[in-house]
Amino acid sequence: MFVGLLLSRYLNMSVEGQEAVTTVTPGQYILIEGNDDEYPFVAKLLKFFGDESHKQKKALVQWFLRLSEVPQNKKLLLGRSPHPQEIFYYLGRACDNEINAESILGTVHVRQDNSPPGTKDTLYVKLSWDTKAFNVLDPVLMQDTPASTPPKPALPLFPPCASPTATPVSRGPVRRALPTPDPTVMRRAGSVSDTRATMSAGKRSTLEISANDLLLCLSQEWATLMGVGATKESELIMMDCSCLFPVGSRSYFIYLDVIFVVLLTCLPVLRLHVSSVPESLPCREQEFQDIYNFVESKVMDGTGGCMYISGVPGTGKTATIHEVIRCLQHASDMDEIPTFRFIEINGMKMTDPHQAYVQILQKLTDQKVTADHAAALLEKRFSNPAPKKETTVLLVDELDLLWTRKQNVMYNLFDWPTRRHARLVVLTIANTMDLPERIMINRVASRLGLTRMSFQPYSFKQLQQIITSRLNKVKAFEEDALQLVSRKVAALSGDARRCLDICRRATEICEHSASHPSSTGLVRMSHVMEALDEMFSSSYITAIGCASLQEQLFLRAVIAEFRRLGLEEATFQQVFVQHRALSRVEGLQPISVSEGLAVCQRLGACRLLLLEASRLDMLQRVRLNVSQDDVLYALKAVRD
Amino acid sequence: MSHGQHYSERFCHQRLPEKPVGMESQHKHLLELLRRTAVHGESNSVLIVGPRGSGKTMLLNCVLRELLEVKDVNKNVLPVHLNGLLQTDDRIALKEITRQLNLENVVGDKVFGSFAENLAFLLEALKKGDRSSSRPVLFILDEFDLFAHHKNQTLLYNLLDVSQSAQAPVAVIGLTCRLDVLELLEKRVKSRFSHRQIHLLSSLSFIQYLDNVRSQLSLPQDFPDTKFYDEWNDSIKVRHFSSYPQLVDVLQRHYNSSKDFRSLHLLLMLALSRVSASKPAIKPTDLLEASRVCMVDSKANILHGLSILELCLIIAMKHLNDIYEGEPFNFQMVHNEFKKFLQRKSHSIHNFDKPVVMKAFEHLQQLELIKSMDSSTAKIQKEYQLMKLLLDHSQIMEALQKYPQCPTDVKQWAMSAFG
Repeated sequence: MFVGLLLSRYLNMSVEGQEAVTTVTPGQYILIEGNDDEYPFVAKLLKFFGDESHKQKKALVQWFLRLSEVPQNKKLLLGRSPHPQEIFYYLGRACDNEINAESILGTVHVRQDNSPPGTKDTLYVKLSWDTKAFNVLDPVLMQDTPASTPPKPALPLFPPCASPTATPVSRGPVRRALPTPDPTVMRRAGSVSDTRATMSAGKRSTLEISANDLLLCLSQEWATLMGVGATKESELIMMDCSCLFPVGSRSYFIYLDVIFVVLLTCLPVLRLHVSSVPESLPCREQEFQDIYNFVESKVMDGTGGCMYISGVPGTGKTATIHEVIRCLQHASDMDEIPTFRFIEINGMKMTDPHQAYVQILQKLTDQKVTADHAAALLEKRFSNPAPKKETTVLLVDELDLLWTRKQNVMYNLFDWPTRRHARLVVLTIANTMDLPERIMINRVASRLGLTRMSFQPYSFKQLQQIITSRLNKVKAFEEDALQLVSRKVAALSGDARRCLDICRRATEICEHSASHPSSTGLVRMSHVMEALDEMFSSSYITAIGCASLQEQLFLRAVIAEFRRLGLEEATFQQVFVQHRALSRVEGLQPISVSEGLAVCQRLGACRLLLLEASRLDMLQRVRLNVSQDDVLYALKAVRD
Repeated sequence: MSHGQHYSERFCHQRLPEKPVGMESQHKHLLELLRRTAVHGESNSVLIVGPRGSGKTMLLNCVLRELLEVKDVNKNVLPVHLNGLLQTDDRIALKEITRQLNLENVVGDKVFGSFAENLAFLLEALKKGDRSSSRPVLFILDEFDLFAHHKNQTLLYNLLDVSQSAQAPVAVIGLTCRLDVLELLEKRVKSRFSHRQIHLLSSLSFIQYLDNVRSQLSLPQDFPDTKFYDEWNDSIKVRHFSSYPQLVDVLQRHYNSSKDFRSLHLLLMLALSRVSASKPAIKPTDLLEASRVCMVDSKANILHGLSILELCLIIAMKHLNDIYEGEPFNFQMVHNEFKKFLQRKSHSIHNFDKPVVMKAFEHLQQLELIKSMDSSTAKIQKEYQLMKLLLDHSQIMEALQKYPQCPTDVKQWAMSAFG
């Protein structure tokens, strides 16, 4: 029926240029214009009213959802494939239940019973959706409510949780606290080892069947146990496991796997990998709180805004925002704040600034369109009032790469949040503090606003705290070694990634030297020194020391020629004259010009020398890429 | 002869040696690192830095071979080989990655989607993985420094970003000969790189170098013909080496000039190619001859093929260089100098017309023995274009000595300015 209605509406519009007249009355089920022409939104009309200026006619509605509108990750909760005509009673309260009367497309029949309808244009409703779960719909809700009583969208279906009025200040950090060991897990682990003990007493034949499941659940629990430090116990469990399973059997291998998982979780090397997600982000509490408050207030108010975050690489910008979003999502799961969507784009992960539109649209609606079309669709989406709109939080990483000559990508990104109906929060990240002043034209910088935050490079104390918290109280480093790493990195860049990489390498070096009888198993100063040396020491001096005799001679000739000319540049021809003289002094057979050029090219390929293009042959100019003192030092070391 | 094939494989780098020589610690480090990725799913990034011919690729291939011998790893690991000289931009590199991972047909329902789709698809694919369930991917970037010149360093950023986040396990292995490669990386890319560098700087002594030559020349244990094996390996024993001081001298010279294996292999290959069925042993003279071929100046042969007139022009240019201390010259100056010589010694050499001399001059330019100093845009008459000589005095004098039937007057003219 509504298809026909739609058709007639379109026909009327296109042929006669006027609206078809459809009459709707409160209590009827209506279709409302949405993003998707084929599947318009469904709602029940509760009442009509005029807005403040009496210019626009508004309507109050009770929303129904199609499954396609349920978030992707929640669709599975239904547990069955939906009927195409099935809709769900919406119990959330994040959506605006006011709509413009003009967006009503027509009416539709909705039934509430258990059998799918026979006719195509009738929809049916069986379950309700409260943004967390599907519930059987209370038939009372479907009774025709008097139009005068406003609907109560928030129904106390879920158990009463923390009061939504709790101050946000207390909210974030509390939730981020380390998980305390769960007593049930401990108990279950204990019971598992009990069962195993009884099994090992006799029934080996039945073991094969249950071993698989048993061990899979064990692996989880052991991992937890290791986390809280119950190493001794789990070692014992492992020990007696090995006598339990016949070596070589299937369960034995599973068992080995499990042990492997357990071992991995307790190795400090893995905890130190940059990729491992820490339980909490130390040293960024203030920044976390500021961003949290900013995003939360915007989500609560249903408004939009921009924030600019700067900081050198490896100071935890992206990690902090992810943590904020995680906490906010948790809060919205607990229904403390309205639901919101989080979208992330990264300037480095796209081929062209305009791809930003495509990616945003794809993440919002799963549509794949060209950049221009995507820009138009997004423009429409963010500027028009739309029903059921939840706040979108957009993270734009590596903002500086979205720069275009006209800066229209940046302009749009910062302009959308200012629209009345956009409900868009944009968080942007870049490295330089003065990026808005440096590269943005005035109208873009003005829209970005002044909500800025800068992440300072970590100080050595903070770096120390980061490593300690990553290691989670496992003592793996000597105090001095830890100090050295953090002080060194803090002095260089304050980059936490660097710090973790050094620690990881030092742990590896320590492991390799673990066979040494005097070693305590802890990472010591010497290990850290070795790791630092590997990563930061300049290899030029070693490279000169390992170069062949003629190459070293050529470097000396370069320096001699520089001194003669009083310049830091000479042509190959000039240097070669010196080279020949030097080899005569050294008592070496002089080399031919081609060999000399080959020597020069080899030094150039290592970038010990800087050379011009080789087609200039003998006329190419030669410069040193290392200081003269370094070369002389390295050469002196070789001779001694 | 089967040993011919054996050597050609060895010297043309078609077969890996059993064990990399002189880089045990680096081998251990790299193997351990890649094993962590292949077996434990720990992402890593590493750079192998060393001069050309120092064995970077050989080391990596040895490690990969050893790694892939483990059955589980062999089935799981996906190596992706990229080369900065072949994949000159990120678009081509991405296509190559998709091709090597056999994902062509998955991208956007067609063989190859657009660049943007390709990147998004690949990142999505890598993001979905995790350390325990996904197959580890080894990205091997040969000529790593060239990837740093790609626009925005997008590829490097993304690969290194994956290696630093909890996504599919990857190892990014870069091979480069530039010691300053880290300075090429953009700060965000640099922060994501683990700063692990394996340096291959050989500190081979001459004694070790000689051992190397011997081991490279000797036949393997499993050679079928035992009689020949004994004779051959006997012929390259130590005493043969030390009884020819000339031979040691030649090898010393090679060692002084470069320690890398590639130039050594070239020398040995040349020496071996002189072995035939009638002369089934390698003689020290073969090595001497090979070394002579290796060391020969590249321009000497060109100079031998010049006509007397062209040679005279070169001598004139040499004199001009001496007089004006290397300042550029033009054809007119060279011609004047040549005419002065003709006036003095008119009997010894034919008097050429100016167009003929011009032609000879142009020929020298085509041979790139002289090079124009003007930018090509300037419209200057041919006679007045400024030129520079691309030859060293020693090269000219040597060529004159060896030039067949060179008139004495010309030789004397060339010598005269030295006095």
